[in-house]
Amino acid sequence: MKKQAFLALTLALVVTLTAAAQPKVGDVLLKNGTVLTVTNGTLENTDVLVRDGKIARIGQGLRAPDGVAVVDVTGKYVMPGIIDAHSHIALSAVNEATNPVTAEVTMEDVTNPYHIGIYRALAGGVTTSHTMHGSANVIGGQNETIKHRWGFTNPDDLRFEGAPRTIKFALGENPTRVHGKRGGGTGKPKVPATRMGVEAVLREAFADGQRYMEAWDRYEAEKKRNPRAVPPPYDLRLETIADILRGDVLVHCHSYRADEILMLMRVLEDFGVDKVTFQHANEAFKVAPELAAFGAYASVFSDWWSYKFEVYYSTAYNAAILTRNGVVTSVNSDSGELNRHLYHEAAKSQRYGGLTDDEALALITINPALQLGIADRTGSIEVGKDADLAVFDGHPLSVYAVPVMTFVDGVRYFDRERDPDDMRLFVDPEASLDDGAMISNDEHRHLHELEAAGDWLFHLK
Amino acid sequence: MFFPSSRPAPAALLLVFAAALAFAPLRVHAQTDDLPTVTRTYALENARIVQAPGRVIERGTVVLRNGLITAVGTDVAVPFDAERIAADSMVVYAGFIDGLSHAGIPKPKEDANRSRPDDPGNPPDDYAGIQPQRDARTMLDPGDRSVRDLRKAGFGAAHTVPHGRMLPGSGAVVLLSGDAPGAMVLRDDVSLFAQFKAAPSVYPATPMGMTAKMRQLYREAERRHMIEKMYEENPKGLERPPHDAVHEAFFPVLEGRKPVFFFVESALEAYRALRLQKDLGFPLALGGLEQSFDLIDALKGARAPLFFTLALPKEPKKKTAAQKDSVEAAMAAQYDPSIRTATYRDLEAERRNLEARRRMSREKYLKNAAMLHEAGLRFGFSAMDVKPADIHANLREMIAHGLPEDAALAALTTDAANLLGLSAMLGSVDEGKIANLVVTTAPYFEEKAKIRYVFVDGVKYEYEVKEKKAPAGGEAVNPAGVWSYVISTPMGEFEGTLTLEGSPDNLRGTLTSSQSPNPAELQNVILEGNELSFTIVMPEGPGTLTFTLTLTGEDFEGSVNVPGMGNAPVTGTRESGPDRS
Repeated sequence: MKKQAFLALTLALVVTLTAAAQPKVGDVLLKNGTVLTVTNGTLENTDVLVRDGKIARIGQGLRAPDGVAVVDVTGKYVMPGIIDAHSHIALSAVNEATNPVTAEVTMEDVTNPYHIGIYRALAGGVTTSHTMHGSANVIGGQNETIKHRWGFTNPDDLRFEGAPRTIKFALGENPTRVHGKRGGGTGKPKVPATRMGVEAVLREAFADGQRYMEAWDRYEAEKKRNPRAVPPPYDLRLETIADILRGDVLVHCHSYRADEILMLMRVLEDFGVDKVTFQHANEAFKVAPELAAFGAYASVFSDWWSYKFEVYYSTAYNAAILTRNGVVTSVNSDSGELNRHLYHEAAKSQRYGGLTDDEALALITINPALQLGIADRTGSIEVGKDADLAVFDGHPLSVYAVPVMTFVDGVRYFDRERDPDDMRLFVDPEASLDDGAMISNDEHRHLHELEAAGDWLFHLK
Repeated sequence: MFFPSSRPAPAALLLVFAAALAFAPLRVHAQTDDLPTVTRTYALENARIVQAPGRVIERGTVVLRNGLITAVGTDVAVPFDAERIAADSMVVYAGFIDGLSHAGIPKPKEDANRSRPDDPGNPPDDYAGIQPQRDARTMLDPGDRSVRDLRKAGFGAAHTVPHGRMLPGSGAVVLLSGDAPGAMVLRDDVSLFAQFKAAPSVYPATPMGMTAKMRQLYREAERRHMIEKMYEENPKGLERPPHDAVHEAFFPVLEGRKPVFFFVESALEAYRALRLQKDLGFPLALGGLEQSFDLIDALKGARAPLFFTLALPKEPKKKTAAQKDSVEAAMAAQYDPSIRTATYRDLEAERRNLEARRRMSREKYLKNAAMLHEAGLRFGFSAMDVKPADIHANLREMIAHGLPEDAALAALTTDAANLLGLSAMLGSVDEGKIANLVVTTAPYFEEKAKIRYVFVDGVKYEYEVKEKKAPAGGEAVNPAGVWSYVISTPMGEFEGTLTLEGSPDNLRGTLTSSQSPNPAELQNVILEGNELSFTIVMPEGPGTLTFTLTLTGEDFEGSVNVPGMGNAPVTGTRESGPDRS
């Protein structure tokens, strides 16, 4: 084989696989589909026109402007791109498990665009993930909301521009086991060892954050009078907590039991924080009216439980009970496997709780969008919103439906017709196939980092 | 002044630069031999002189005197006291410059007995690897093997940084010569070295912990720096400013006097460093960059000095069936990007496809330097993670994949000197510069080129060039001596010592390992050419281990067969022996 031909081939491949020249926003006309808008009912035989990554028009008999590709979706269903409100894909590390409070760390620093989980999520119609810190700490790290722009390697290219900051809290068995029993993996046991301790850690952190905020406010005021005013010590951890108190960071709290859910609402009320989503929240159905009164959100599993003691009291009616009580509820995956069939998870809530189609679809579209503060941009098919769309060959709440195309900002990142076996962006140049080394380097590193933080943490739900 | 970068105006920069030169320590010369030096004057006569990339004297003479290049040209008077070296058919280059490594700094032994901190969330700074106040200069050992090995590969100067974790200390530019640590230093405190190397199970234990820690340290250092300045101007009525060495180590960075010098391996680490730079605004230099092919645009925007790794990915040791295939080379170009394996009967096709894909991935690494060059990025090289003996072959790979020879030479010499702010002293064969030279038997980038002499700081190092005999079994060697070895297994690395005694035709010896302190007796020791094999019996372990090693002078490579588990790669290094006395 001639070297030049080989190089040309390499180049061609690099272009196809890394999509380096790929635009970040696209134009397309989806022609004659059944459009599930979620917020505005179902539209039969309808076209969706996308210009510059935004939904430009929805209607019948639309013409494609010059240069805009037409995709015939006759007999197919078009729904808003699915949003996973709880995920750990595309991350190089998950838990900074060394301290009960690590508000200063942020997952935006460890976004991993090479992770094949992004492509797999696209193949399940998922266009946005909320990639979260783990649940080892009472106050873990800040999370990151990403769009699944597969092929871009710069982490900045995956960020959901303008999405609000969010932070992970965790109650119950995980933080008490990691710190109360194991002392963060290596040290001596420390607070919190109990649910009371968890509350104490939260209150102490908020009180410290308040004092920090006050100290800086005092300094800013004094600086106006006195140019030689001395600023108080800088503390990124307390500054982040102060940002929560200011309402700039949305709280997403790992929780299971009804009593601890009530506890956190009391704590937040005492400190004037009103934006909270309870993650997992298997017992949320017990306190649904209280959640609705607080304005709290819930992001739950459809039917996953009993993987530890605090998750035994659970029901597949959770999402339906919460919805009917007026709680904005989503169904999430917390898993790189489950996220590929979130439409099935939503359908289960319909099977058990009798939700309407729109209510069930809202669990994986507009409701998680509300919880992440991105409902003005995604979560439904409306003119002016981002063209994050999933196309199914049947109704997505049917067990027979198969996702066939997924668009993010109008760019087609997944197409079942063009879905070769090897979609990896990174291939270890030194790995022998016989070593079973199909895991990329980065995943090795990822596993290694997890190990450093205590590998038992990865599978904490 | 480390960088000729954006911040200070050029005039101011020159002043600082001149000042730095004026205060540069006067270095007393010393030979490394026991013999007194006969002369410090050398004349390389009738050589082809590559003064700098594209600037060649076909046949000329270079005169070195008292550690400086004193004359270069075709018509040069040779001083009476010069040692005259007939360099006919040889090529003279400026000594190579290593932009980032641990040259001359011995790797510290891990303190296994050290107890873990009680509170992993708040460990002592040194345990967490937060030690930016440490100074490479205080750790130098001119006798360290890395100095000898890099010099032998043609390097005369290196930017060297301490070993450690996230913030191991400040770097120094050293000359790879001298017999006292202080005598090696050309410039001290030129960089604040950083890397994404986490602390073991204490804060910061993850990449996001490290980035958060960096932000915390930098912003608090900014605050302290401001208070410090205020206090210096007028202390009246101000509380005494807080002091600690960690934050104060950032002050020169805040003042733009030295960069944060990040060693980054993967593309993700590089993006992390760039993101920190963008958020915090420090002057940045980057070393390593093994996946920079994925972030060329980001690097263009960063305008940071770059020092690209001299290491390249190796072919997997264990050959796959597809690789062993006689049509292997042809198969590599047969990658089918749209393959879908429908049944187990097609596995062989998928397997070949995956192997082709791996080869293409490796190609990207080999092409990386050429891509940086094509993008108009100037860069030097880093010897951080390369075996010095591999450097020549790796450079030839990069050139074979599109890096122009002149660009490779510039990265080794002029560009490296420029990026490190050392152009006035190093990087070209010009009168007045420090006498760092490489003399090769043929143009350096040719396969057959061997390094004959290296001059560092005017000191001559001569290397025997053996004509290649080519017996089938390799060159005969005498392996007697003490070797350290590393076995890499899926369970981790095992280290130990291999001791060989006797003559090449009658060898005996022992093997110790980190797992069992009792030495095991070697059996069936056979040496054929440079192939050494032996067995050891582990009565309580898996049985008989068979070692097969290929010796190359100071190193060996090979494998050990473990019954029931297959082969594990072994590498080793001679620690002492008759060859080295």
